[in-house]
Amino acid sequence: MHTKVLLQKEMLENWRNKKWIWVPLVFLLLAIMDPISNYYLPQILESIGGLPDGTVLELPEYAPQDILLMSLGQFSSLGVLLIVLISMGTIAGEQKNGVMDLLLIKPISYRSIILAKWFSLLLLVWTSLFLGITASWYYTNSLYGEIEFLSMLLVTFYYGLWLTLVVTISIFYNAIIQTPGLVAFLTILTTIILSIVTNVFGTHIKWSPVNLSTYIHEMLVLGSVTSQLIATAFTTIVLIIIILSVAIYCFKKKQH
Amino acid sequence: MTLLTITNLTKKFSNKLAVNNVNYTLTPQKCVALIGPNGAGKTTILRMLTGLLKPSSGVIQFANKPKNDDARSFIGYLPQYPVFYNWMTGMEFLTFSGQLEGLTKQESVKRATFLMEKIGIANTKNKRIGNYSGGMKQRLGIAQAIIHRPKLLVLDEPVSSLDPIGRREVLSLMEELKQQMTILFSTHILGDADEISDELLLLKEGEIIESGEMHVLRQKYQTAKISIQCHENLPIYRDKISTLSSVRNVYIERDTIQITAHNIQNARQEILQIASKEQWPLTNFTLHRASLEDMFMKVVNE
Repeated sequence: MHTKVLLQKEMLENWRNKKWIWVPLVFLLLAIMDPISNYYLPQILESIGGLPDGTVLELPEYAPQDILLMSLGQFSSLGVLLIVLISMGTIAGEQKNGVMDLLLIKPISYRSIILAKWFSLLLLVWTSLFLGITASWYYTNSLYGEIEFLSMLLVTFYYGLWLTLVVTISIFYNAIIQTPGLVAFLTILTTIILSIVTNVFGTHIKWSPVNLSTYIHEMLVLGSVTSQLIATAFTTIVLIIIILSVAIYCFKKKQH
Repeated sequence: MTLLTITNLTKKFSNKLAVNNVNYTLTPQKCVALIGPNGAGKTTILRMLTGLLKPSSGVIQFANKPKNDDARSFIGYLPQYPVFYNWMTGMEFLTFSGQLEGLTKQESVKRATFLMEKIGIANTKNKRIGNYSGGMKQRLGIAQAIIHRPKLLVLDEPVSSLDPIGRREVLSLMEELKQQMTILFSTHILGDADEISDELLLLKEGEIIESGEMHVLRQKYQTAKISIQCHENLPIYRDKISTLSSVRNVYIERDTIQITAHNIQNARQEILQIASKEQWPLTNFTLHRASLEDMFMKVVNE
């Protein structure tokens, strides 16, 4: 019950500070940038003065799947950065400025506080992701070629897990550190280390969350969900649960 | 009757002993002031009481608390520098606080409306807290602390940061709340403690060095001092007074005779007797009441 009250407060806060408007908009923009700019590249080149006569320019032929994956690529870089920025102060900032004190003296559990923060961020991130991918899918379909609606939903789901992991890592650092900037830095550092480790020891950790995009690509090409993807999704979910539990534990410990 | 018992409460921060072996029993319906110089450990004690800080050792035990109840629901707390969500309105914040304390939404709204009225900021209830003045925030802080009708209200320096008007408002609010709940507040402004508290806890370097009821302490630290002013011939009267048995020391300070006594009541009696018998031209006779400040200085400097 407390979690619900806290969640309502988070939603109201994100509405009042306009996050519910600009975060989905940025995701939308990131998603449609590649489908549109690639399609209109010849016209764009033409309009900025064209190329000298006799230039032979061969533009690659993109498959619809490639286009959708380009949008994911944008989410993986700028999208992740955005998530880190909107989440870096969510608990850390409130602890630092002291407003958290007024919550902690109420008879509510530490778990409620963490869960409400986590879930409100997820709602925002998943909504933005869904909007972005839908837009990308729409342009891909109308400009390049068909991708099934179901595939799009699957892409959203599996890719959403990766973003959920990023949110969870940020919440974890939020729970143990009081400096928002440091939270952002460590969250990004952690994802970078995760992908370096995955790349170096790639053969040993096939199911690292970092590989989600690779398997999503495979799924789009093959047209079916591979067991690799399911296994990776499963590891990601387990990892999320573990990090979240540790975050709650550390938050509780740290208060004393 | 006890409300709360503190036993051997100690708090260590790395190497510094902030609170050292504090024992105290709080009785209901009292207003207790925690005073002491800066860094004496006032805030640390209050934060341990509210559960924001865990004691290094020692026990804080609420009387009559069912075992599984959260102690925090017995307490209302106003931190020294309360910070709110500035994007919320006062009304929203109070309702939110009430709900977190376990009231239903309806109860919360009702109680919040009542409290906004009571603390005198009802006309700004739909304004963002970011636009509130310091005094309004302080009162809102008290309102969020009492929304669930706690048994114990803990206020950390409730008036120190306020201007005289805000200070007066908060003090009279405390005066009113005193009737309904136990109040424990810290302050370094002795006048405030003097004005509204029944009991006093004097803290120095993490230890309680003196505690008790206000009038008892006053008696104990009574500075036995009388001063007399006359029109003329001060040295003559001085010599006469110095012969009285209850008087310890007499000296003239400008136009006043200052008298310290072994027993202030007897000295007063004797001096008034001789003065009226010999018809001294007295213009002023003052029996000095021990001020809290004298007591504070005396105890803290010992």
